[in-house]
Amino acid sequence: MSAPVAVAGVGTSHFGRQPERDLVGLAYDAVSEAFADAGVENVDAVWVGTVFAPAGVAQRVLRAMGITGVPILTVENACASGTTAFVEAHEAVRTGRYGRVLALGLEQMSTAFSGAIVPETTDPEGRAGLAMPAMYAMSAARYLYTGAATLEQLAAVSVKNHAHAVHNPRAQYSGEYTVDEVLASRMIADPLTLLQCCPTSDGAAAAVLTAASGGSGEVVVRGAALRSGAPWNHRSPHVWGHDIVADTARDALSAAGLDAATDVDVVEVHDAFTIGEIVTTEALGLVPPGDGGKAAAGGVTALGGAHPVNPSGGLLSRGHPLGATGLAQIAEITWQLRGQCGARQVGGARLGLVETMGGGVSVLDGNSCVVTVLEAR
Amino acid sequence: MTSPTGSDPRPEIRRTAQGDWVVAGRRCRACAEPVAYAWPRCPACGAEVEPADFGPLGTVWSSTVVRIAVPGHTPPYALAYVDLEDGPRVLAHVAGDEPAPIGGGARLTGVSDAGDLQVEVTR
Repeated sequence: MSAPVAVAGVGTSHFGRQPERDLVGLAYDAVSEAFADAGVENVDAVWVGTVFAPAGVAQRVLRAMGITGVPILTVENACASGTTAFVEAHEAVRTGRYGRVLALGLEQMSTAFSGAIVPETTDPEGRAGLAMPAMYAMSAARYLYTGAATLEQLAAVSVKNHAHAVHNPRAQYSGEYTVDEVLASRMIADPLTLLQCCPTSDGAAAAVLTAASGGSGEVVVRGAALRSGAPWNHRSPHVWGHDIVADTARDALSAAGLDAATDVDVVEVHDAFTIGEIVTTEALGLVPPGDGGKAAAGGVTALGGAHPVNPSGGLLSRGHPLGATGLAQIAEITWQLRGQCGARQVGGARLGLVETMGGGVSVLDGNSCVVTVLEAR
Repeated sequence: MTSPTGSDPRPEIRRTAQGDWVVAGRRCRACAEPVAYAWPRCPACGAEVEPADFGPLGTVWSSTVVRIAVPGHTPPYALAYVDLEDGPRVLAHVAGDEPAPIGGGARLTGVSDAGDLQVEVTR
């Protein structure tokens, strides 16, 4: 077995609507913090995750900070682009291809779209007007129909994650909302209201990976997995995106030598919409099938609960600059495992899990999903 | 707003001699997977496919009403995933601006002005 790979340093820009800034500056904020955190000044290779940034963006932002002449690879895997960069960087270090690798995620949504992401017109369902909130609304409506969740339980996810974000100075939004306030916010796609949808965000996040040194408290990658979606259709037993998360989680937990997601202490998941967190906590096996809504409403997935989910505030509150999201999740779990999270710290966290999934391609159960297990040694 | 260019990726629909609207799709020769699109291979198993018509009746798997601006469409508009009988799950626009009752029936009624597959609620 090869030596474990360490997350030697992490960093992020501020997350939020920042149209006056450019990707050079946002990326520099993330990379300079990650380099300082790792105590390094250069890397042997870079993987960059982004979805909507212009061609050449990786080299454009990296040359502005003197990272030139090393292999640079850009990957796109929808909302999992940042964590795709992370698993590829991890694999490059694990196999000895490179000694020290930077994974960088970035996205500037505020200058790309005036509102929600414009659906892709070369895709059949995108052409038909299935915006991402509507895709998730289909799952939410189905959950309400089968009785697997209530409107109040959906809203509870938003209440919880906005409250978590009060303690995260990098988050775009935070606040002490009530279930009624969440449900009374503007309807976006029935039954999902505005406060149940992630905002339009700009940001960057980065991680430096190296071979583990064996030092005490060092954060290492215990297991990582990536999948693309199989067909999701009339035969699928679950709502969109459930099975790809369940399958990828099984791979990652197996790679980590863990029996179940309930063995981890803290989790960051892809809650682009409230229903997403409910489905994901069930798919990961963090809560029993059908209990995702109940767990959110009952505090099981809140800070202080049995299985804290999204202590950062998640995508709903920290914001969701697509390519940056996965690495912001990695940064949060790294900080959690080092005990650096202040009022949002999960006490004694030693094992953490990151899940990111993204989609939009018709007929598939998501374009991609990445699940990673990190451990403090 | 710019109009989409290139070929239309949405399902092809046609009217039968009996006057029913059906999706002109494909069925896998190996695993029988129904597909709403004229793709060259089965997305489930990669085997060869043959032409197959689906519809006009189906069951609503889920439904929503989109209330935000989406280029090419005017909100509010109702969408449904409809499982066509012995056929694929298709995304369709629902006549009116109410969600279609989940678990209820739907019938293909052609395409909307915007060229989208359209259904009406049947029961």
